[in-house]
Amino acid sequence: MRKTKAVLLEALLVAALGLFLALAANALSARGLRLSRNYFPGGEKPGTVTPATNSAATGSNAAPVDPLEAVKLRLQRNGLKMVRSNEVAELFRDPRYDAGLVLFVDARDDQHYAAGHIPGAWQFHHYRPENYLPEVLPACLPAQQIVVYCGGGDCEDSEFAAIALREASVPGDKLLVYAGGFTEWTNHGHSVEIGTRRSGQLVKPKP
Amino acid sequence: MTSPDSGPAPGRFGAWDFMSIAARWVLGGLFLYMGLSKALHPIEFLKLVRQYDLLHHHFLLNLVASTLPWFEIFCGLLLVLGVAVRGAAVMLVAMLVPFTLAVLMRALAIHGAGGIAFCAIKFDCGCGAGEVLICKKLAENGLLTLLAIALIFWRSQRLCVRHGLLRSAPASGLA
Repeated sequence: MRKTKAVLLEALLVAALGLFLALAANALSARGLRLSRNYFPGGEKPGTVTPATNSAATGSNAAPVDPLEAVKLRLQRNGLKMVRSNEVAELFRDPRYDAGLVLFVDARDDQHYAAGHIPGAWQFHHYRPENYLPEVLPACLPAQQIVVYCGGGDCEDSEFAAIALREASVPGDKLLVYAGGFTEWTNHGHSVEIGTRRSGQLVKPKP
Repeated sequence: MTSPDSGPAPGRFGAWDFMSIAARWVLGGLFLYMGLSKALHPIEFLKLVRQYDLLHHHFLLNLVASTLPWFEIFCGLLLVLGVAVRGAAVMLVAMLVPFTLAVLMRALAIHGAGGIAFCAIKFDCGCGAGEVLICKKLAENGLLTLLAIALIFWRSQRLCVRHGLLRSAPASGLA
């Protein structure tokens, strides 16, 4: 019994020391998380899985619902509007796009953004707002319409980014969430820009 | 052959010594690797923890996602080095059992909702190894849990910097 207590006491010591070191490592790490920050503003119950044999099997036994309609309803509850691919293509061709009055904001991380983004899109990875807001916010404030997108599919980062922009004083009625995201953009054969914004490296996605 | 309770003869490695060292290094190495892969990508891990829908307050979610990877690295290091082996093994069991149950519950929910064969269910469970077939993951976690439990009871102190943290005398059974 005494030995059992000793083992449990040792485990408690390991737990306490480990927790202390883990908190310290997180605080010192450049990639660490901020404990008090809500990284999923307006986030609802998640549900993302990839069954090995059936990619549509994440729903319920009820009749299938158009996933984009479900996203639209969720966005509405968060005071946001959704745009579909045809509207996005029109906005991309809109003359106001070149004047900076129509803006595209990419909510994905650095790696994905550099690998390819909608030409001219600004990057705003909302998990590290301090890295992006100083550039993105001045561009967003005078804009009339801002299309925010991420990878599409299960990705919710465009919603979180739109909410984060709204919280940073961008009027919510300007913000449009492109639910189809970058995947849909490339699936439609639109060109993408590689590297930094306005790098001039435009490529057509492979079919 | 020496038993796990009797201890080896001084200077000679018994089968239990080899098994104990192998268990420590396998478990410790795995936890080091898994912990590092999460600690290097904390945001991705945070998203995966959220998928379990078990923690609803953002502070708790952030706390788990930010500390668990480093805690795994810490426990992994203890096992590899042979420091506080039993205490670290208890903590491994304390992490593995609830995590395995959470994976099982999530897989059962998907199975019930989607009508997919249980062993065809695949998702990124947040283990640090990407998408995995859940049957395989459950079996793997069961094996790791058994190894961790074995380390609590095995007494071998071979190649340990300090097997017991609280005492320098040789360990002598649990009861």
